[in-house]
Amino acid sequence: MLQLTALPAGRLRRGLTEPLLPVTVLALLAVAAAALSATVMCWAAVGALAGFALSGSV
Amino acid sequence: MLFSPGWRAPIRQGEVLAVFSLGLVLGGALSAGVVWLVSGLAAPVPATARAVLTVLVAAVAAAREAGLIRLPLPQNSRQIPQEVLMHRLRTGSLQFGFEMGTGVRTYVSASSPYVLALGLLLAHMSAPATLLAGVAFGAGRALSAALTYWARSRDRDALIAARMAWVKNVTALSVLAAATLLLVR
Repeated sequence: MLQLTALPAGRLRRGLTEPLLPVTVLALLAVAAAALSATVMCWAAVGALAGFALSGSV
Repeated sequence: MLFSPGWRAPIRQGEVLAVFSLGLVLGGALSAGVVWLVSGLAAPVPATARAVLTVLVAAVAAAREAGLIRLPLPQNSRQIPQEVLMHRLRTGSLQFGFEMGTGVRTYVSASSPYVLALGLLLAHMSAPATLLAGVAFGAGRALSAALTYWARSRDRDALIAARMAWVKNVTALSVLAAATLLLVR
């Protein structure tokens, strides 16, 4: 019973901390901002992407 | 490794993460400030030339991440000494984060930060806009550390290692797409 309740929480945690999730969100944000000519938002999203791309460092 | 010996260690790692993240954001802001100061030199260059150069460098970065070309990165090939974390944990974490956030004090293993720096240099935006991009850079690095903290998994390093090629490739391609859409019309 304990395993049945603990397993979904573990899966949820793994899913929410999946490294590809923020990359996907930020990539969509950067491209959408560029398409809308939202220059500041686009460069901010690119900045966050560039920072996250160094994930292996810490 | 910031969270060594792991999330079970008997220290307040959430506090360490917060201070480390603050350092990252401050470091990113400092580098962005320097880029903004230098970006004035690019102002006389025609906007079309600046746009084409930015997209070209983004394309080279994407090709490098895809393994199509081999290109060494002009990085500072040193690690931040672990001693900064040994004696005073809070100020050490702040210093560690700040040095990493600047992007010039240690290894930079991906191409996209270079596209960001050059893009901001050539875009010559307002100071707040450039600083925001620098803060976002630090926040992006902090997010990676935060996810590692929240994951609470012994297998986190292996997972990140397995995903890094994807992360770098998706990042480089989306930066190329964004730069092209934004600058070439």
